[in-house]
Amino acid sequence: MKTFKQLMVAISSVAIITSANAQIKNSKTVTVNINGNCDMCKKAIETAAFVKKVAAIDWNKDTHLATLTYDSTKTTKEDVLKRVALAGYDNETFLAPDAAYANLSGCCQYDRKRKIMTNASGETGTVKSQTGAQEKATVNQFKTVFDAYFELKEALVKTDFKTATLKARDLSAALTKIDMMKLEPSQHEVWMKVYKDLIAQTDAMVKAKDIEIQRSHFSIVSDNLYELAKVVKPEATIYYQHCPMYQDGKGANWLSVEKTIKNPYYGSQMLSCGKTIETIK
Amino acid sequence: MIQRKLVQSHLTVLKYFLYICVLWSGPQLLAQKAVRYDLFVRDTLVNFAGKDIKAYAVNGQIPMPELHFIEGDTAEIYVHNELKTETSIHWHGLILPNEQDGVPYLTTAPIKAGTTHLYKFPLVQNGTYWYHSHTKLQEQSGMYGAFIIHKKEEQKIPEYTMVLSDWTNMKPFEVHRRLHNANDWSAIKKAKVQKGAVQSYVDAIADQSLKVKLKNEWKRMLAMDVSDVYYDQFLTNGKKEDQATQFKAGDKVRLRIINGSSSTYFWLKYAGGKMNVVASDGMDVEPVAVDRMIIAVAEIYDVIVTIPADSTAFEFLATSEDRIRSTSLWLGTGIKQLATPLQPLKYFEGMKMMNGMMKMNGNLDDMGMNMSLQQMDMNVVMYPEITGNKETKKQAGHNPTNQENQYNSNALSDIVTLNYAMLRSPVKTTLPKAPIKELRFELTGNMTRYVWSINNKTVSETDKILIKKGENVRIVIYNNSMMRHPMHLHGHFFRIINGQGDYSPLKNVLDIMPMETDTIEFAATESGDWFFHCHILYHMMSGMGRIFSYENSPPNPELPNPKKALKMLYRDDKEFHFMIDNDFASNGNDGEMLLQNTRWKLQTEWRLGYNDMHGYEVESHFGRYIGKMQWLFPYVGFDWRYRKMGRDEVEKNLFGQIDTKDKRSVICIGIQYTLPMLIVADVRLDSDSKLRFQLMREDIPLTKRLRMTLMGNSDLEYMAGLKYIVTKKISLSTHYDSDMGFGAGITLMY
Repeated sequence: MKTFKQLMVAISSVAIITSANAQIKNSKTVTVNINGNCDMCKKAIETAAFVKKVAAIDWNKDTHLATLTYDSTKTTKEDVLKRVALAGYDNETFLAPDAAYANLSGCCQYDRKRKIMTNASGETGTVKSQTGAQEKATVNQFKTVFDAYFELKEALVKTDFKTATLKARDLSAALTKIDMMKLEPSQHEVWMKVYKDLIAQTDAMVKAKDIEIQRSHFSIVSDNLYELAKVVKPEATIYYQHCPMYQDGKGANWLSVEKTIKNPYYGSQMLSCGKTIETIK
Repeated sequence: MIQRKLVQSHLTVLKYFLYICVLWSGPQLLAQKAVRYDLFVRDTLVNFAGKDIKAYAVNGQIPMPELHFIEGDTAEIYVHNELKTETSIHWHGLILPNEQDGVPYLTTAPIKAGTTHLYKFPLVQNGTYWYHSHTKLQEQSGMYGAFIIHKKEEQKIPEYTMVLSDWTNMKPFEVHRRLHNANDWSAIKKAKVQKGAVQSYVDAIADQSLKVKLKNEWKRMLAMDVSDVYYDQFLTNGKKEDQATQFKAGDKVRLRIINGSSSTYFWLKYAGGKMNVVASDGMDVEPVAVDRMIIAVAEIYDVIVTIPADSTAFEFLATSEDRIRSTSLWLGTGIKQLATPLQPLKYFEGMKMMNGMMKMNGNLDDMGMNMSLQQMDMNVVMYPEITGNKETKKQAGHNPTNQENQYNSNALSDIVTLNYAMLRSPVKTTLPKAPIKELRFELTGNMTRYVWSINNKTVSETDKILIKKGENVRIVIYNNSMMRHPMHLHGHFFRIINGQGDYSPLKNVLDIMPMETDTIEFAATESGDWFFHCHILYHMMSGMGRIFSYENSPPNPELPNPKKALKMLYRDDKEFHFMIDNDFASNGNDGEMLLQNTRWKLQTEWRLGYNDMHGYEVESHFGRYIGKMQWLFPYVGFDWRYRKMGRDEVEKNLFGQIDTKDKRSVICIGIQYTLPMLIVADVRLDSDSKLRFQLMREDIPLTKRLRMTLMGNSDLEYMAGLKYIVTKKISLSTHYDSDMGFGAGITLMY
């Protein structure tokens, strides 16, 4: 009886496989290479490739090879592989858009084989720290960032658009120089969370057409830097200060090296509006 | 891809080959020399999207050949018209003598079938430009190409030209005719690719947006969309995908991007990083780095992009504004790095936005936001990459800080989108001190009848606008229509007043979005007549434009009979469009014929039973649409009908008058008015002094392909029908009619 059952299962599974293939007319079968890690990837890849009666794929997570069957009158190998890449999986013909790769869940984030893009000057990873004084290096790494930030803040306090643009540029440069390989795990975690927004907002300040736009970005830059300040443990005390009026009462925060309030959001109009809400030592 | 119908004679091939050789032998040598090109315009068959379609090829190719010159050269271009119809070539963006501008019947004689026309003009500028036919709808069928004028001393960097275009398997004439008959076949085709494009009631319910849809129809709007025409394919240099393999890592490449499409805006993105915009419409601008940008119909941008790595091809992706399809240029060789595609539009979010903006009288209300220069794009509500997906939006409770930023994509996300306020000229562009002539243009239109105009007047309904040489012309343009328009000025560059002061950028195409107000100004330095028009081909052909005419211009030798020529020009937007359908049903034939143009309409309806009991009737109206929104339609007409009744049977209408609906032969006058929910109310009085009041709503979109029609009147006649659209010409239909009873059949329409 048991053997009979097994036989039936075997027969029916054969039938299913044949029928799946039989559904695709004018079928052509090729083997293709698709990156990925796990069973979740397998499902995602096969779903992305599948079009009823037109294309189906069977991917092997160990070999990264896939059997692709498609109706050669209705589609092409390229079309199918493009869909797979758009779902986040690099393959022999297409590289996935970065956003699609970033959207994959953690276990699916396979190692991308392609070369890491060099930045414009072509100087990635030339500086490698050899000293054991990692902690020190980290503080120093962020020192330039905070220094630039405080100068930027001063410019906003003075409502000096030109200087603010220059200082925002300095801050942006300091941020891009951070080498995240040298960060402590706790810092690394916060850095990964904030750096995109931080750089984007700082760049927006550089490009802003007037100081009011700069100020609106500055509030987000400040929030992100506050997160960093908490894990970096700066050399000097930093005051986290708050203005309750900005943006129609939504309020905004900033960091300062001095306890006295000098409001960067309104400048001389309301220089002393605000209060210190946290002291970071 | 082109199948040449005629093989060029050896002689002409040789001749053409020689010119190319001369051209390539050394641009330096040729500077300030005459540069000759020969263009042979021929009928051809092409297959861009699965079908052989008639098109026009120049020198055997689509797009037309890429022409290269150096500033200071004199262009000598011989156009050989080997078609059976007339043609023309307009040199888009060039500063040239009026009679060389190539607008048939306005500046230049049309090139008659079988003749050759020589265009000859000095090149007094540099940059990326293009050329195209200005005759009828020829541009849609392949007559567009790049026209590049190099600087005398140009920075030597690798470059590549990207001519974008749109392709439909439908004849352009058909596209135009159907647009004028509010036919939603385009939306049905779009819905094949993108769910929900028809915005039917079922789509609305599925999207939990029934209220939005109802409000939309209450405000007398049809389904909303960002473009009117369904295209089967978008092309880069005449291909679905083009590849330029000559580049290597680190190369900075100048892309000359020309939007040669007839009615498609494209979103541009690059997989290898930011795009550095360095020129627009041929004129240099201060470099500005962006993540994405929109290129309007007929607009030109030069961008510099970097090739980040070797053995990889990076995608330069151009997606149509409706996001139905895209076309790509691959830069480099090897494995292909894709750009992130644009997600489908959130149609009902767009509809909701339009509902908010549309006043009951059909005007748009910007709610106090001073919109200009593409900075606030109301359509961002439909862009998932900026405003999130429906689900994420609900979770995150995305909360823009103020109302203006609600539509400012650069404030809403990290993605930098180009807008006109970011364009800055590297040199001062201030106009010479001169008296200013200020004009106000309100862009007006009506999607239902596809009427497009300026200040509610078409080209043929207005006189030329007279300007004086030496004065400055300033135009304040307000777009009070629901579509964006790329407004193009011939033969001049205008400054866009965009907050850059003395360094305002120079352009010749201004994209203006709904509800925006933009100001442009130019120095009147030429002579003759110059066209200013919307560059969406079907809007232009519907009359959306004006003619600027310099006072006291010398007579134009190209146009010996200017009055007659002007009449010919006006014919374009006066054209009547024909439509007919007939339902071959089990209980009779039911049909309608329309002949209409911008203002006038002749309409005949018939109901022909198969026997006397069912009766026969024909009713015709001829009238004129009144007002900007064209909701009011007074008419005169006649009504003839016969139906055999039982003996002594007398029917009365709602007003107690004896009904003559069974035997009638009258002339009538009446008025139709479109009510909210797109219900047409019709009151008429006939020569027997009988009054009739009728309400009718046609084509209620229940599902993607199912339409419902309801009608009732004071003669106690009523009708309800359903129609299932199978193809663009065939529908299955069923209806119940108070005279003829229940029937089902097939409707054919043209």
